[in-house]
Amino acid sequence: MDAATLTYDTLRFGEFEDFPDTSEPVWILGKEYNALTEKDDILSDVTSRLWFTYRKNFPPIGGTGPTSDTGWGCMLRCGQMILGEALLCRHLGRNWRWNRDEKQREEYISILNAFIDKKDSYYSIHQIAQMGVGEGKPIGQWYGPNTVAQVLKKLAVFDTWSRLVVHVAMDNTVVIEEIKRLCMPWLDAAEACGDAEAGGDLNGCLEGACAMAEEETALWRPLVLLIPLRLGLSDINEAYIETLKQCFMLPQSLGVIGGKPNSAHYFIGYVGEELIYLDPHTTQPAVDPCEDSQVPDETYHCQHPPCRMHICELDPSIAAGFFCRTEDEFDDWCMRIRRLSCRRGGLPMFELVDSQPCHMVSVDVLNLTPDFSDSDRLERFFDSEDEEFEILSL
Amino acid sequence: MPPLEKPQLQNKPFKLRKSFATRRQEVAGIRAKFPNKIPVIIERFDREKFLPPLDKTKFLVPHELSMTQFITIIRNRMALLPTQAFYLLVNNSGLSSMSLTMAQVYKDHQDEDGFLYMTYASQEMFGR
Repeated sequence: MDAATLTYDTLRFGEFEDFPDTSEPVWILGKEYNALTEKDDILSDVTSRLWFTYRKNFPPIGGTGPTSDTGWGCMLRCGQMILGEALLCRHLGRNWRWNRDEKQREEYISILNAFIDKKDSYYSIHQIAQMGVGEGKPIGQWYGPNTVAQVLKKLAVFDTWSRLVVHVAMDNTVVIEEIKRLCMPWLDAAEACGDAEAGGDLNGCLEGACAMAEEETALWRPLVLLIPLRLGLSDINEAYIETLKQCFMLPQSLGVIGGKPNSAHYFIGYVGEELIYLDPHTTQPAVDPCEDSQVPDETYHCQHPPCRMHICELDPSIAAGFFCRTEDEFDDWCMRIRRLSCRRGGLPMFELVDSQPCHMVSVDVLNLTPDFSDSDRLERFFDSEDEEFEILSL
Repeated sequence: MPPLEKPQLQNKPFKLRKSFATRRQEVAGIRAKFPNKIPVIIERFDREKFLPPLDKTKFLVPHELSMTQFITIIRNRMALLPTQAFYLLVNNSGLSSMSLTMAQVYKDHQDEDGFLYMTYASQEMFGR
């Protein structure tokens, strides 16, 4: 038995500090608890989350690559945890609880199978590491929150069972219109049909598009919204702390991926000035699914009290996650975010806008004009009239 | 290819390279010459490992330019992909709302010397 297994199995209540007895509210992924009267509920909620850790002795990544992710895979594991939480919400609901001795539901087994350490699981370490190559990260390299978010977005396309839209909001801006178009792609098709009918010119091609639209009608594709942020340079700017806490209070919360400098954690809530997190830094042996596709799942749930750290220790590079199963849930999320940004105290971490500002598009268009070489194009923005200053013009 | 031709000769931050009086004088001079532009200093976070350096530090920016437009210009200049993380922190501390104009950001965050200071950085990586 190695050290990691020992930690997990025998020392679990020795090494981990018990959850504090405090009258301050405890928030876990949008649910409020009282630590004095609901400690069992808190622990049961935490244990029900999927806990992905370093593993060893899995099939080599890419056939000849690493068989363990110890020392490099912690952000990839955190990505698995936040997406795992999205899949739990998607297929089982936020109130689902894990009971170690109960027969598991079919959906649960399918979710777990999507993360098993082998090449053909939708979101395995193999898939994430290999998809990262396209993001400029060779296998075995460290990821940031944005890297893993971008990779998950690409992998989710192949998960036809969950039909998720994974949207990564860049430049700390969430554009509502963009998300609605992604989650209701049939809207565009319907518009196209409407236009054609108005013109009295319905060809076979468009009929096909309409048929598809009907099939998908009123089916909002469940949204996983990931917002990569940088809340300071070396340390988190304290003006963001209250806003960060509020993220965990929203019912749509999927938590936050981030960490202490160098070490990634999956943050699921807070109590007082402490963040509550699941830590991937325990190496467990890889698990083989049994023949009936049942997975021995004990090691995929954190059965000790969750880790805690002071919010000020948080590295400023994070990605916040939210899950909106329906359009109503998304509208509700928008309403709550707007209400928060109106309140005094705390700096908004990101901005919510109705549509892509058109001036942004115009700048893009100008820059993509193929008639100009790079240097010509730059000169249109940077007329060098002054030796030292670069002058930008509209 | 990102325009990286000119290596950054001075590694010290702009504020440490020039005295307060010099910087103030410089702002006064340039504001007199270009009353419709805002003097902005953009520097790379000293521990940034992924984003390229910019060959210029000092920019004169139109009042009505939005943060979105400004960031788009800088992103294009570095030839970044839309999926690459890029953050511009005002006064080394906070992210600015993208819909604000440069004049609004300047009003709230200009330095005593008259410049608006911004630092750019991507995201840190985690692995241990």
